[in-house]
Amino acid sequence: MSVVAAARTRGGALVAPFARQLGLAGSVLLVICCFLPWSTYSGFPGKMLNSTPGGARLYVLLLALFGFLFVKDLPGRRRALGSASTFAFVIALLTMLFIAYAGRGLVNVGSGAFVGVVAALLYMVGARSLPEDDRTAPVRSLPDGRWRAAVESVLCVLAAVAALAAFVIGLGIPSTSIADGEDYRLGGAISLNDLTNESQFLSFLLFLCGLMLALSRMGVIASLGAITKRHSKVLVAAGLMAAVVFPFTQGGDGYSLRIAASIGVFAAAAVGLNIVVGLAGLLDLGYIAFFGVGAYFAAIVSGSITSVIDVHLPFGLVILLSALIAGLFGVLLGAPTLRLRGDYLAIVTLGFGEIFRITVNNLDGSAGPKLTNGPNGVSNIPDLVLPGGFSFGENHNLFGVDLPFQANYYWLEVILVAVVMTAFLRLAESRIGRAWVAIREDELAAAATGINTTRLKLLAFALGATLAGAAGSVSAHVVKVAAPDSFTFLESALLLAAVILGGMGTVQGALLGATVLYLLPEKLRFLQDLRLLVFGIVLVLIMRLRPEGLVPSKRRQREFHEAGGGADALAAPPGHAGALG
Amino acid sequence: MDLFLQQLVNGLVLGATYGLIALGYTMVYGIVQLINFAHGEIFMLGGFGALTTYLALPSGTPAGVALPLMLLGGMAVSVTVAVIMERFAYRPLRGAPRLAPLITALGVSIALQELIRNFYPRAKSARNFPQLVNPDRRFSLGGDVSISAPNLLTIVVAVIGMVALSTFVRRSRTGRAMQATAQDPDTARLMGIDTDRIIVTAFVLGAALAAVAGLAQGLRFGQVDFRMGFITGIKAFTAAVLGGIGNISGAVLGGFTLGLVEVMATQYAPEPFAGGAWKDAWAFVVLIVVLVFRPTGLLGERVAARA
Repeated sequence: MSVVAAARTRGGALVAPFARQLGLAGSVLLVICCFLPWSTYSGFPGKMLNSTPGGARLYVLLLALFGFLFVKDLPGRRRALGSASTFAFVIALLTMLFIAYAGRGLVNVGSGAFVGVVAALLYMVGARSLPEDDRTAPVRSLPDGRWRAAVESVLCVLAAVAALAAFVIGLGIPSTSIADGEDYRLGGAISLNDLTNESQFLSFLLFLCGLMLALSRMGVIASLGAITKRHSKVLVAAGLMAAVVFPFTQGGDGYSLRIAASIGVFAAAAVGLNIVVGLAGLLDLGYIAFFGVGAYFAAIVSGSITSVIDVHLPFGLVILLSALIAGLFGVLLGAPTLRLRGDYLAIVTLGFGEIFRITVNNLDGSAGPKLTNGPNGVSNIPDLVLPGGFSFGENHNLFGVDLPFQANYYWLEVILVAVVMTAFLRLAESRIGRAWVAIREDELAAAATGINTTRLKLLAFALGATLAGAAGSVSAHVVKVAAPDSFTFLESALLLAAVILGGMGTVQGALLGATVLYLLPEKLRFLQDLRLLVFGIVLVLIMRLRPEGLVPSKRRQREFHEAGGGADALAAPPGHAGALG
Repeated sequence: MDLFLQQLVNGLVLGATYGLIALGYTMVYGIVQLINFAHGEIFMLGGFGALTTYLALPSGTPAGVALPLMLLGGMAVSVTVAVIMERFAYRPLRGAPRLAPLITALGVSIALQELIRNFYPRAKSARNFPQLVNPDRRFSLGGDVSISAPNLLTIVVAVIGMVALSTFVRRSRTGRAMQATAQDPDTARLMGIDTDRIIVTAFVLGAALAAVAGLAQGLRFGQVDFRMGFITGIKAFTAAVLGGIGNISGAVLGGFTLGLVEVMATQYAPEPFAGGAWKDAWAFVVLIVVLVFRPTGLLGERVAARA
């Protein structure tokens, strides 16, 4: 480490006097390069042969534009430039390698890519040799005036639209192999690998990371956050609209809607788990079991031909009952065990999750009573039909746009996520929510101020279970099957990862975490066998770079960045038997 | 009666494996309060390390020479990976919110499994492990009760490992430093203890014992599998909690208890909940029941909450 640091200081001292000129030259050259051809053959995604930048070149171009900071000294510029230039360099380098790989050799890399990589390197060295920032970026607000509220509302809408656009673009980049019949061949013999397409997703992801980091270091994200907080209703309405409109952007493609609906299932469960873990600070490692209780109940009473019970209850009743039953399980498990502390509770919930999975696996008529069909699960759950005769299994035409049937289930998921989010936000700001946070921070102190900690912890546990049950019953109808494979410990762990990755105790965090964790393995398919390996490494890296999560709650962020940290119940577990004896 | 005694023996053998792995969980937890979910993978790597050592030996090496070398090889792999893991995945997160290292552990666990699956030759499914200790050779323990040679070896090695660790922690200077760090890391540092080194020591000792369990597992079942660490790891963690996490004797007791419960439940649980399909469920039921009545595990002490 010290060698690297020494080399950096020495190199820095050498370059420092010219850092601005060097970086500026690099960024200008990089902008120019983005209009030069990056490949000598056509067909690489993003039209690398043309002179109009597309795909990865567009991302590099946008990141290169941050070079204006070399001229204008804004607060936080070194860190902002550092992120923008580093990510620009990585994207340029990766793209060049991908082009060379797909074209079978560096010969087929265009001049723009070569010069671009060098320019990006200069840009990065220049940015990193700048003097340290002496000011951190302030949270800015718009000047007071008649139009302020209107402009701020428009900004909120734009933020929602940008989020939707990022999602649509990310999802829209194909993750399957290149379609047959298109001329992706070079010289007739050499064919492109799937990798070329996937490189697009990778560079898009890197671009998003670089852009967000650079903007947040310039204080743009914090300022926008302050604005959206003042106009949260506008933001919520705009976000909901964006989510509702999404199927219309997909041109009748059912696949992406199915993925979006699956993300919805995952996100709803993650938000529910966030109540238990993020607000009340109870580590639940078997949350998926409550979800499973709801899913199995819904599967069994919804008229599936594989169900052993021949009843078909109306959908609304099914959701209610699933939620109630899951909540009941929550109380049954929680009542005797919630006085356990920290990790003892975690292992009890883990045990409950395993017991649930083993039980549904065994209730197949041979190892136990026949109820769940064992490993096969309850499948062929019929499509939902609303009382008016509206069937979820049929394609519909709305406003002249043909919508695949998946859109119906997608909208159902949007409603579910909206309900769960509302429940979370209302709870978090209520007296109960504040009591949960107090318990999370310091249970003894909370009890001393007159909070009935046992009852409130049980409430958190039961509410989390209830929401999971409701989410499970909806998801059973979306995926049309309830099978033990979906309720393993790994699923619980991934849900927890979504909550922690996104940032505990915030609803945006859980949504973002769920989206990232669902999309990442889906989009990493090009790595084939290495997919899970990369996924594991990415988990480690994200936690190392941002241990407080992507969107931490304000309180947690303060705790984490203050020296010594706060007395957080999750940071320093109370009452462990602290003696190796 | 013979059947009961036979199952008792089987349960003790199973429990010895759990106990060996549980020691690693409990030591690391006792010192840094980290649930190291990747510890199960360290156990799995121990098995693969032993296998690799065997494959590198000239054919015809007598078992008496091969086994100790395999043990050393397995330990070398486990310990190396554990040290790297501590240094690059966990140490940077010290002082971070406690759940962050948990996700890191999960990531490490997934990555290690996939590393073996993808890069160890022919490890996509279970790989055969040399049957150096003949499993058909059985020693009679009176009546119809007997124990097979690999099982006997497992239990002997496990007990030696447990006693050695316990003596080390109680008697040696480093061991006492470990206890001090577990009780109060800040004061321990004031007393001149290099706590970073102590934490690494805990990882190293845990990994070495897990490698013993990995070798034993290979010898008993005649195969090693990249998936074998995950479930066994969760069970061993359960054993550590059952005994009272952070407590070394507790981990051993918890391991044996869990092993016995599993074996006995398979045999004696009321129909239709008997049989192998339900054994894990019984293990967790017993865990929950024990924790309801003894909230800090079998040997865990009731400690006042830290402010």
